[in-house]
Amino acid sequence: MGHGAKDEKEFNVIVLVKQVPEAEDVRIDPDTGRLDRSSAEAVTNPFDLNAIEVANRIKERLGGKVTCISMGPLRADSTLRDSLARGCDRGILLSDKKFGGADTLATSYTLSCAIKKIGSFDLIVCGEKTTDGDTGQVGPEVAEQLDIPHACFVEEIKAITESSLVVRRKTENGYMILELKLPALISVTKDINEPPLPLLKNKIKARKAEIETWSASDLSEIGDVERFGLTGSPTRVVNVGSPHVEKETMMIEGGSSREKAKKLVDILEDLGFL
Amino acid sequence: MYYGKVDENLIKELKNICGSKYVITDKDQMLGYRTDETIEAEKMLRVPFPDAVVKPRFVEEISEVLKLSNKKRIPVTPRGGGTGLSGGVIPVYGGIVLSMENMNKIIEIDKENLMVVLEAGVALGDLYKAVEREGFFFPPHPGDEGAQIGGAIATNAGGARTVKYGTMRSFVKGIEVVLPTGEVLNLGGKLLKNNTGYALMHLIIGSEGTLGVITKATLKLLPSSAAPMILVVPYSNRHDAIKTVLEILRGGVIPLGIEYMEREAMERSEEYLGRKWPTEKGEGCLMVMITGKDEDEIFSRSECIMRICEANKALDIFMAEQKRDQENVMEIRSKMYEALKGDMMALFDITVPPGRMGKFMKKVEEVSEKYGVSMSTYGHAGDGNVHVHLMKTDVKKYEKIKEELYEEGSRMGGVISGEHGIGLLRIGDLHISRDRKEIELMKKIKKVFDPNGILNPGKIFPA
Repeated sequence: MGHGAKDEKEFNVIVLVKQVPEAEDVRIDPDTGRLDRSSAEAVTNPFDLNAIEVANRIKERLGGKVTCISMGPLRADSTLRDSLARGCDRGILLSDKKFGGADTLATSYTLSCAIKKIGSFDLIVCGEKTTDGDTGQVGPEVAEQLDIPHACFVEEIKAITESSLVVRRKTENGYMILELKLPALISVTKDINEPPLPLLKNKIKARKAEIETWSASDLSEIGDVERFGLTGSPTRVVNVGSPHVEKETMMIEGGSSREKAKKLVDILEDLGFL
Repeated sequence: MYYGKVDENLIKELKNICGSKYVITDKDQMLGYRTDETIEAEKMLRVPFPDAVVKPRFVEEISEVLKLSNKKRIPVTPRGGGTGLSGGVIPVYGGIVLSMENMNKIIEIDKENLMVVLEAGVALGDLYKAVEREGFFFPPHPGDEGAQIGGAIATNAGGARTVKYGTMRSFVKGIEVVLPTGEVLNLGGKLLKNNTGYALMHLIIGSEGTLGVITKATLKLLPSSAAPMILVVPYSNRHDAIKTVLEILRGGVIPLGIEYMEREAMERSEEYLGRKWPTEKGEGCLMVMITGKDEDEIFSRSECIMRICEANKALDIFMAEQKRDQENVMEIRSKMYEALKGDMMALFDITVPPGRMGKFMKKVEEVSEKYGVSMSTYGHAGDGNVHVHLMKTDVKKYEKIKEELYEEGSRMGGVISGEHGIGLLRIGDLHISRDRKEIELMKKIKKVFDPNGILNPGKIFPA
């Protein structure tokens, strides 16, 4: 069996996590159209906390080990420490200048190389998207790179055994129940669980924990270095803008209810609705 | 006390002073200027309308309004954000409500002296934001950020951070105040030491708008520190929680705040907000806020506190580090009063020496059992200020419960109000905490400042 080969003893879950700017602090720079992260505190992507909690609960049932992987600058080690404090057993940071400027394709390729390097795994869990990139593409792309089944927007895990997984995934107009053969990848919504706060003692321990850092050369035996980072990214961001708002709110103020109703009728007539 | 009438002529004069836009006599528009956040049931009185609401923009206008009112003997009730909990802004005798809402400028953030100079109508929330932007921190936090500086000074507001930094009084360095007779005084200044005669400024602080109208203030600032950390610590009983608090205070690491909350109050607030408290464990929880100059310091302080919590049978120690987690617990904490308010009879503000808190809580339990009433407790556990929430019951029981708790509190060396003040609500009970001679002196002081008794009459003691 390939990279997804089963380890008879342990059920291995991998969680993909990312450090993002804390949502309320992010502004879009009106001149460049880029995210201005300067004032923002860096936190673990909120959806990833749901993913970690999914992994924790699976570990409670099946035992095994949870490994979290993140790609980012060196300071993103704090997100891996956060993941350790929340119950993950091992943290791996993919950090190298050569990984920089990656689009979702290069990112998913790099992550899949790291997963191959880890070796055996049964399930990969990630959040449905990150709050900064908002694409939701990296998860499914990783699954494709690894050639394993995947389900996105999973809102419930209905059953899990060592060899298969039944999930309920949200769709635009309902839901689907899917059974996946393991190893597989799922991306989860925030409705799947309520991640608990970490315990202080685990936070303190995680601060001192060792975070493995892998560079591009650590992955060079498995992957093609040219496909990492900017050189491996066909996507070019030409422009970023705010979406055009077509809804408009109008307040009808002053006067009695009757007068307000009359004004409303006038407006609706003007707009051609009446 | 004899009071004059607000007639058309007087309204005209008020409009001449402040501009007609800033004088309101329409009842609908005055509706929001009658009372504060005090529980309706607790007031047990009819809340009157003022005759006029005046919203001056300049200190000179306030001076003129007071001169006129003093001459015509018109009651004047100063009003800030209306967030008080003792009925201090209720215009008991009608007359004029003097709303400070238009005096809302931050005049100066003095980086050299670490002081901010601002008008009295600035909302606390706006002050926090403004000084934060400049890299400073203003510690007093009474809770409702809609409260105004003037009101917070007039009531010597406390709040969750009192345990580390003290009440408003510790941060007020200067005030501009208009006396009921119209003179404008500037007391104090950008000084950390000032021994020049009687400290009149400190007499005005906490005088609940009865001695003068505060129009401007100079407040001390601190350099801002790293973002605080919040620990959520569930306990299976309140005594372990309170014991923890005392040991933390003795331990030398004074947190920014220590709040104690009981399950019932938390659940009500969760339901009210549609939010979820981070843990279902325990009958009560401590919420400990920790600051430090950087993350390392915060963690080492947290570790000290963790050891004390563990030694006192804490069930778990959770950490809310992310803003949204912190906001969640803070919101549940701060909306407890609102969530309970509809079903509450009274909110007691008894404060005992911190070391007696455990004993006092025991008394609350006994009284609660004896009268078969629900009394949910939460509050600033670190400073001995125990907010006991008496849920609806009959008036007779309420009177008896109040008497027993006040008596026990006094016996322990406590007072009937730690931060909400006497206002209108506790007028009949002031004698429990202050002796006759003290009250006599207070009344004489009032007379010196306000010979005609026009300023906020019927507060602290009867007019």
